[in-house]
Amino acid sequence: MAQISKLQPYLFLAPSFAILLVFLIFPLSWNIYIALHDVSLITLLKEWEYVGLENFVTLFDDPNFYTSLKVTLMFVGGSVALQFGMGILMAIVLNQQIRGSGVYRAILIIPWTISAVIAAFSFKFILDDNFGILNFILNQLGVESVGWLSDPNIVIWSLVMANMWYGTPFTLLFLTAGLLSINPSLYEAARIDGASKMRSLFHITLPLLKPFMIINLILITMWSVNLFDIQLIMTGGGPLFSSTTASLYMYRQAFEFGLLSKGAAAGIILILINLTVAVIYVKFLRR
Amino acid sequence: MVFILSSAFLISVIFTGLVNSLYAQKEQVTLTAIVAEPKERWDVLFDNASKKLNENHPDMDIQIDYRVLPYDATRTQILTSMAGRTPIDLISVDQIWLGEFAEGGFLTDLTQNATSWGREGDWYPVNWEGGKYEDKIYGIWAWTDVRALWYWKDLLRDAGVDPRTLETWNGYLSAAQKLNDALGQQGIQGSHLVGASHSPDMWYPYLWMLGGDILEERSGHPTKGTYWFPAYNSTEGVQSLEFIKRQVDAGIKPQVNHFWGQEFADKKFAMMLEGSWLLGTFPREQWAGLNQSVGMIPMFPVPNEGNKSATMMGGWVLSIPETSENKDLSWELLTLLVDPEILTTMLEKEGYLPTQKPIAEGSYSQSLNATIPYYSDMISMIPVGHSRPNIPEYPQISDNIREAIDGVYFGGKDPGQALQESAVKTAEVLGW
Repeated sequence: MAQISKLQPYLFLAPSFAILLVFLIFPLSWNIYIALHDVSLITLLKEWEYVGLENFVTLFDDPNFYTSLKVTLMFVGGSVALQFGMGILMAIVLNQQIRGSGVYRAILIIPWTISAVIAAFSFKFILDDNFGILNFILNQLGVESVGWLSDPNIVIWSLVMANMWYGTPFTLLFLTAGLLSINPSLYEAARIDGASKMRSLFHITLPLLKPFMIINLILITMWSVNLFDIQLIMTGGGPLFSSTTASLYMYRQAFEFGLLSKGAAAGIILILINLTVAVIYVKFLRR
Repeated sequence: MVFILSSAFLISVIFTGLVNSLYAQKEQVTLTAIVAEPKERWDVLFDNASKKLNENHPDMDIQIDYRVLPYDATRTQILTSMAGRTPIDLISVDQIWLGEFAEGGFLTDLTQNATSWGREGDWYPVNWEGGKYEDKIYGIWAWTDVRALWYWKDLLRDAGVDPRTLETWNGYLSAAQKLNDALGQQGIQGSHLVGASHSPDMWYPYLWMLGGDILEERSGHPTKGTYWFPAYNSTEGVQSLEFIKRQVDAGIKPQVNHFWGQEFADKKFAMMLEGSWLLGTFPREQWAGLNQSVGMIPMFPVPNEGNKSATMMGGWVLSIPETSENKDLSWELLTLLVDPEILTTMLEKEGYLPTQKPIAEGSYSQSLNATIPYYSDMISMIPVGHSRPNIPEYPQISDNIREAIDGVYFGGKDPGQALQESAVKTAEVLGW
């Protein structure tokens, strides 16, 4: 009987562990296995030769990979800053006693409910250098057309803009949930004690919202690191690799060039980036 | 009453048995296929081929289950199916994928079947060769497309541009500038320059017309003895890329978004170098009178008058995957799909170009000539048509060439330097 009791917690864990095994541990191990072997379209149906860390060496020898890391940093940095900044601002404003705030909130959530592919196509047309509406408006105002998708120095910010539009509603939704969890009596007490709205914001709202903010930052950072549909559709990574993020680099190596091992190695680097980001954020959360 | 019921029961049992035995005699076979969009062309082809196939095999009930996928998804889906050893009987292969699919062991060697078939002589040599990899036949090139120069007659007339001047490099450049000056205010651009991912495809014709090539065979490869080596950084390559640079300098903007001829049909451009599929962007009912408003010059501009032009040919190859469990029947289906009787109906409806001489020039050409605008002009380009290398490394090579072109377009690079840097990368990709 005592033995059964000892086993019981493990039995309860078994379903979760099985799911983790099938959907996380197995694919991850398989990815590592592929990264350590020579697997390409040509060798896919043949025997896979063990090559150790050769795929990682090839990856780090490729200057385009470093470019993609730099581009990722800009894309993720820009996207997270804007998504988070806009999201928290909108969440706080809409949390005030504004008439119709529920309607505004519902409207603002729409971008997040559509597919990233549709968002990417929409922005591709809006930002088209010659026929896009944005340049048309600029021209009407007497401003020269901007190479939103063709200027290597600008294109990454066009992608950030598209990702901001697409991803901000999640932050708005997530932080609104956080704001609603704060006990209103705290604000009432602060108001009685003579605190201004700003003081309440900095001394009540933001400290209590911190766990939500950290989790939100972890999620939007990871999603931005892994996102590749927007880049693939809007620019295909060009011009001159100026919009090739690490995730798009990984996709192109594996599925366009058929270099599955190199793509898998890039995937592992992406996982490490995600883990590092998560650890940093969690450390902040524990402070 | 009992007798009647017993008799009815007995008759029904006998009848059911008869039907079952008759039905059981017909072998049920389902052939599966993965093919690329658009769907309409496959509907026409498979419908007619399936009827013929069933007629040829009265003892069988043959169904064709074909999945039509977008271009990129087709490649991924084929690869996933092959990796998972899913039995597929027929696939449409872009000519540039053939090498990597064949090298990967995904495709059935059709050399024996094709030899016994004896129809090689009906194909244009360039198209027949396009189905080969390392001297073995892995597919039959079913139809093709060529790129040519299209222009709006009224816009050129308004700008005072004589279409004949578009045939030379200098004439093309000055016409583009003239058109930009005359039509810019109306939001119409003079000329189109491809800046999208397939920009190399629109540069190759200039390289080929000068006598250059993308790759050349060279001995002394570290592992393969004789193998391909980049040749596009030759003098001809530099000269042809310099012409592209001159276009940019003349104010022709590279277009990073591509709408496959729709931008021309929408009159956003006065002239455009585009594939024969551009016709498909016009409604079918306009085809009959299209040559009144749209002009076509069956060539890419040449350096000087009298020079021979070149073009690039694309199109689809039909192949049988190694995983097919009905290889003989699949081969028969494939031969029916490219049978002139069946194929011509589809070409006529969709406006594609044939790879077979009997369709292009023989008796079948009359109906195509009557329905497809500029059909004979497009056919006249096939002899100067080239295809891209179908070796496994081609996708990476194409990406390197695109980088060189982008360097000239957007990075202000010197064409010679851009091609040289690109060729170094390509040599590495090819294992040199």
